[in-house]
Amino acid sequence: MFKLNLKIALRNLWKNKTSSFINVIGLAIGLAACLMLLLYVSYEWNFDKQAKNSDNIYMVMTNVPGEGNKISQTFYGSTTALGPLLKQGLPEAKHVVRMNYGEKSLIANGQNSFKKDSKFAEPDILKMYDYQFVAGDPKTALQNPLSVILTKSTAKTLFGSTDVLNKTVRYQDMENLTITGVIEDLPENSSNKFDFLMPWSFYESVDANAKDLNWNNYSFVTMVVLNPDANIDLVNRKVEALVKANTPQNPQSQPHFLYKASKLHLYGKFENGKNVGGDIEQIWLFMALAFGILLIACINFMNMATAKSEKRAKEVGIKKTIGANRASLIFQFLTESMVLTLVAVVLAIALLEVSLPAFNQLLNMNLGISYFNAASWFGILGIVLATGLIAGSYPAFYLSAFNPIQTLKRKIKSKTILSVSLRQVLVVGQFCFAIVLIISTLVIYRQIQYIKNKPVGFDLNALVEIPQDGELKTKFDLFKTEMLKSGAVTSMYQSSVSLSHHGRNFMDMKWDGMTKPVNTVMFNQVATSYDFIKTNGIKLLEGRDFSKKFASDTSGVMVSASAAKVFGYKNPIGKKITIFGTNANIIGVFDDYVWDSPYKSNNPQVVYLTTGQTGTITMRLNNANNLQSNIETINRITKSFNPSYPTEITFVNSLYQEKYKSEKTLGILSNLFGGLAIFVSCLGLFGLVAYSAEQRTKEFGVRKVLGASVASLMQLLSLSFIKMIGVAIVIAIPISYYAMEKWLNNFEFHTEITWWIMPLAAISTLLMALITVSFQAYKTAKANPVDALKYE
Amino acid sequence: MIKIENLEKVYKTEEVETTALNGINLHVKEGEFVSIMGPSGCGKSTLLNVMGLLDKPESGSYKFIDTELLTLNDRERSNFRKRNMGFVFQNFNLIDELTVFENIELPLIYNRIPASERKTLVNEIIERMNIVNRSGHFPQQLSGGQQQRVAVARALVTKPKLVLADEPTGNLDSSHGNEVMELLCELNETGTTIVMVTHSSHDASFSNRIINLKDGHVVSEKINKSRNEELI
Repeated sequence: MFKLNLKIALRNLWKNKTSSFINVIGLAIGLAACLMLLLYVSYEWNFDKQAKNSDNIYMVMTNVPGEGNKISQTFYGSTTALGPLLKQGLPEAKHVVRMNYGEKSLIANGQNSFKKDSKFAEPDILKMYDYQFVAGDPKTALQNPLSVILTKSTAKTLFGSTDVLNKTVRYQDMENLTITGVIEDLPENSSNKFDFLMPWSFYESVDANAKDLNWNNYSFVTMVVLNPDANIDLVNRKVEALVKANTPQNPQSQPHFLYKASKLHLYGKFENGKNVGGDIEQIWLFMALAFGILLIACINFMNMATAKSEKRAKEVGIKKTIGANRASLIFQFLTESMVLTLVAVVLAIALLEVSLPAFNQLLNMNLGISYFNAASWFGILGIVLATGLIAGSYPAFYLSAFNPIQTLKRKIKSKTILSVSLRQVLVVGQFCFAIVLIISTLVIYRQIQYIKNKPVGFDLNALVEIPQDGELKTKFDLFKTEMLKSGAVTSMYQSSVSLSHHGRNFMDMKWDGMTKPVNTVMFNQVATSYDFIKTNGIKLLEGRDFSKKFASDTSGVMVSASAAKVFGYKNPIGKKITIFGTNANIIGVFDDYVWDSPYKSNNPQVVYLTTGQTGTITMRLNNANNLQSNIETINRITKSFNPSYPTEITFVNSLYQEKYKSEKTLGILSNLFGGLAIFVSCLGLFGLVAYSAEQRTKEFGVRKVLGASVASLMQLLSLSFIKMIGVAIVIAIPISYYAMEKWLNNFEFHTEITWWIMPLAAISTLLMALITVSFQAYKTAKANPVDALKYE
Repeated sequence: MIKIENLEKVYKTEEVETTALNGINLHVKEGEFVSIMGPSGCGKSTLLNVMGLLDKPESGSYKFIDTELLTLNDRERSNFRKRNMGFVFQNFNLIDELTVFENIELPLIYNRIPASERKTLVNEIIERMNIVNRSGHFPQQLSGGQQQRVAVARALVTKPKLVLADEPTGNLDSSHGNEVMELLCELNETGTTIVMVTHSSHDASFSNRIINLKDGHVVSEKINKSRNEELI
């Protein structure tokens, strides 16, 4: 029976090529979108879940107290003193590992030097994560302070082989380290990623802050492996009590809590110390998009199947009279939709393979289908089954319910009012979804444009920056002199952070006339050298830039306009403020500029003059020379100072482009999926019109013989479909208006939904539908009536 | 074999009520060949549909051997039908997507006959119907007469006790029509009971008994002497 059903299914597919084509293409697109999403979701979902005991690995989080007992910020930094305290006082903790955030640093094998992601961690990290050792012993690999573990690809880059145990590499052109282990490369989707790992004991000699056990520097990461049976709420209460008992408490004390490390990636957004989601929202959105497309394709299938019901009714009738029961017919129609879905999924995988590289490039990811993974096949199989069931169930129940006598006498009309209107409802639903996507795309695009066109507060062009490494830290003044002499740059400065940066926020600030005993406003700090404003071109509102002419500038400070407002100074120049207990005089006020997120107002900022805090060198290129020669000159001079470091020149412009990344991704995806949704919907519409035209061939023939014009026939055929699109528009516009209004309100700086977006989306959808419909309608209306009447 | 008593069937639409069967009484003996005749709308097709368990009457009784069929539920009706009845239609009603062989095989599949046995049975009947060289063809590739042979073959392959034929020659020319009628006669001679609805008195002359319906009543019954004599 199954074999026969399969035969009927295949022969039917072959016979009705148009509808099969529409169904297969539609489903293939829907499935490809779904599979692509499945890859993406599984990538994101498995973030930091590679370790066997990832369920027991916790990150120490820190709450920053804000105004009125609220928590203004939650982040995953902690102090150096916390780790040892937890090790000692928390019995549930199996391992406690302190590490740094990780940064790019120089690693060299002789002349062969590269900047790679480095990390320092306590040896227990090897117990926390089950790294795959290619060489070396995890028990001893981080015992010696001057040891290093390389990943396989780092070893290959440096030595050309992985057989490098006990060889020596040079770190930051400063210390020789012995390779005590080589491990498999870490998966892309892990947060604690590095190219080489060094022991914490070595870090203590690199960074004095790491050695000092303190409670006020939150620049470190502490991770804890708890016993599997530990109760996290209980543990958190213990942590709080432990910290309270062992540290002096003041209003700035920042409470800690443990948070599952594998959740941090997707549920990393905190408000008032409580988790409020995070990137998981984006995952839901993508899921909705992909499944929406698949659903549209399924609806196409249902519509075509029920539209063709008249043809199939005869078969149902015959089978029923010779003994088929309803279950066997339902089974047959489901088989049919499964066969179709299977054909579609093969096509979908091909489609996916073709489009994945472009998709990866678009979203800056590295996804691929793992064909040898049972789980991925189960995933695909699950989707095929679900799709086949969704697409096939309605036709199956609808068709199998036919009464045999009526069907055999060809009395079956488009049965009840309900079935016709259900088809209409489905078409309306499809187009609703498509229109919502078009409107969203337009709004997202306009929002991105709005933010991009919003001035950042200075001239981004011709600004470049390089990391302040090696000799550039100590010989900055000489470097500056040579650079200026070369003519490649017109001015430059060093600063603790890049123009575009996150963090570096603090609250230890006092000013005259403060109303509260302790400041609760978060300030941002930048330490710099001379020519800060001159180089970056930020607008100076009052006062002046740091200058060598004024020796007193070492205790001077420039503040942003919003900072001056917080202080409440009418004439800020010359007024005194106290930062970290040190007095400073305001010498200049500059306009607020974008240094963090471009979507909201950034914290008030103070800029002070220190030569000690190095980090980034920012330069304004000399426009008189061409770019190429400027870059070459910078390269040459930097190399002469730091022969062992590669030079990394970054255009500040590109740093700011990065800031639009996630919204750009959203824009690309809604564009892509919106286009696909419209395409698949139109495909379905085309099929329905084609079918309806075929059904009414005789009627049209008669009408034509009686003198109907082509236009009137086209109108006859198109009108009912166009009406449905009209209804879809009416429903979709308020939905998308509401949704986009809500989305825009996520951003402090946002554009408004202009009136013309709605009619634009409506008209373009209508136009596309009209083109689809009239193509078929014209063909039918132009057909020779004699051909139509010959049959019957 | 069949005892029908006081059968009533009413079709209702929004505006009118049509009485299709109005107290029909009918007995059919095993091995009989009965024709039902009458003008259009007299209820003959409805009667056949009720006999084939494709339609349900409002009231009355329908006994097949000793089983009352009108109280069965859908599933039981479907099971009874596939075990005991075969159908031949005016418009053949073959499934276009299946070959001749597969069309004939279908009722056997629904009766859960094992594949090897199915093959023998189908080949047997194909040979008997003289359509061996057509077994791999699709219905559209056959002439009307050939299609009707296939339909008859399909009705017979399960060896039903009762064959119901609804104007089996209605779409055929006279020579093909005669072929089909002879086929039915042969079948009847081997013991199968046949009830046939027809407009044609020529076709009816092949049967043992002719029943005339009008407005849902049996108006006359005639024993076909020539045929019965032949039998004796």
